[in-house]
Amino acid sequence: MSGRNIDDLLRFLCKFINIAVVVFLMTPIVVTAIMSLDSRSYLGPLPPPSLSLRWFKAFFSDSYFLSGLATSLKLAVLSVSISLLAGLTTAYALDRSRFRGKDALVSFFLSPLVVPPVVIGFALLLFLSKMGLINGFARLLCGHIIITVPYAIRATLAAMSEIEDTYTEAALILGANERQAFWSVTFPLARAGIVSGGIFAFAVSMDDVAVSIMLTDAKTYTLPIALISSMRANFDLSIAAASMVLMGSTVILIILLEKLVGLNRAMGQGGFR
Amino acid sequence: MKQNTPSALYLPGGLLFLGLFVLPMAGLFIESLRFYEPGSIGSAADAPFTLDNYAELLKASFAGFLWQTVKVSLLASVVGIILAFPMAYWIARRLSPQWRSLALGFFVTLMFLSVLVRTYALELTFGATGPFGSILREIGIATNGRGYIQVLVAAGLLHYIIPMSTLTLLGTIQSVDPRLNEAAQVLGAPNWKAHLSVTMPLCMRGVLASFLFGFTFSISAFVIPMILGKGRVLFISNLIYTRFSEIANYPSGAAISVVLFALAMLIVYVLTRLVNRSIQQ
Repeated sequence: MSGRNIDDLLRFLCKFINIAVVVFLMTPIVVTAIMSLDSRSYLGPLPPPSLSLRWFKAFFSDSYFLSGLATSLKLAVLSVSISLLAGLTTAYALDRSRFRGKDALVSFFLSPLVVPPVVIGFALLLFLSKMGLINGFARLLCGHIIITVPYAIRATLAAMSEIEDTYTEAALILGANERQAFWSVTFPLARAGIVSGGIFAFAVSMDDVAVSIMLTDAKTYTLPIALISSMRANFDLSIAAASMVLMGSTVILIILLEKLVGLNRAMGQGGFR
Repeated sequence: MKQNTPSALYLPGGLLFLGLFVLPMAGLFIESLRFYEPGSIGSAADAPFTLDNYAELLKASFAGFLWQTVKVSLLASVVGIILAFPMAYWIARRLSPQWRSLALGFFVTLMFLSVLVRTYALELTFGATGPFGSILREIGIATNGRGYIQVLVAAGLLHYIIPMSTLTLLGTIQSVDPRLNEAAQVLGAPNWKAHLSVTMPLCMRGVLASFLFGFTFSISAFVIPMILGKGRVLFISNLIYTRFSEIANYPSGAAISVVLFALAMLIVYVLTRLVNRSIQQ
């Protein structure tokens, strides 16, 4: 077989793989979307005989899910705000200092990203119990801060290191003090990075199970924890409706990311196409 | 002017990391060395130190969980790269800018998608009770068999790894000059050979980075094996949770956590060195 024939074969194979991949990625989502509109009260074969919004109504009238959703939103807003503040000061300090071992310090501040979340959750569970912190919401907040803060630091640091030093120097030469230079030069230029860090952090907080499951209690639980426990109890289709709601919010987050930062920029992009 | 940063700026981040990361991790390590009285909740405050919790992990049953975690994770991360590479190449080189942004949005959305939504959707679709479950049973696949459940867990991991690897490789492929490949072809190499000897080596860094992300994600996966594994396929993460929730043996849970932590750090360390070496070359 000549080289060109192998080329054709491989091209065909790659095309086949690409189609199979898209089918694999999309099928579960499409099936869940259809099932969430199923009008039957049991899990029957596809396609459903008729469509209804009953599972969406069931989800939005279930006080167990709604209280989880409220806790999740409160936790996400609070932990992301705290993480962004801590991320901003830490990233600024890191960006402005030069010393031996700085890379190690950066790695340290990003290390919760690579520690398995269950391990973080378990460590926090032991530590907070020893410290006598028993308030469920406070415990969850501690967990959510430590898993979101590396995202805030990473995105802010990346944005700040892209800013030319000469801009800040120019502001200082023109008579601004360090604080004015920060608020009029560094912060506006880093804003896109901070926003994308905040969106990443928000998504992480809303989606976390492994840390929350260790720190949750009977009264304070997040939406993912509520969904998981009812998923294990019975395979009820209001979870399919909940999945559609969660997916809708993911799409909204991505559109926000695209509008505010630009996906190419948020995900990084190479030079050639 | 770079030197005079007030170190007070490190205070908020530093305190958060001390209280919520360093001290808890140190406490975890100490707890893993405490003696555990069966039946109690956690270790006693003055429990003596012992290595029993680690000795217990040398038994075959734990090795089985460890091997299962590593095996399924390796499978998912390698298959993920193989499936993502053609996709990333196609997006980078064959699509018009409009379609490329659309594809980018598609994969970013899939990457951001809640892990619960993915696992639930996969279980609903390919699980024993789902529409594909019955088709699979008809062609003779036992949907409650361990082998199938392992594949299902790997599929759960792949549902995240494929979009993630595609996006990582997309960046790498876009930074390889296509003229290099054309040059190889002008010099007589068929396209596949040009890719193998020119494009692939230049993408090594992205491939290694995808493998690093995929493997560390899989090794520490929790929800995916918990839901799709149905208790028959458990990852190390699930074992830690069971030690906490079912038998309250905190010292043993802590020892498993330390092992999982060490494993994750080792993988990150080795692969990061490989990635850095491939940059220098």
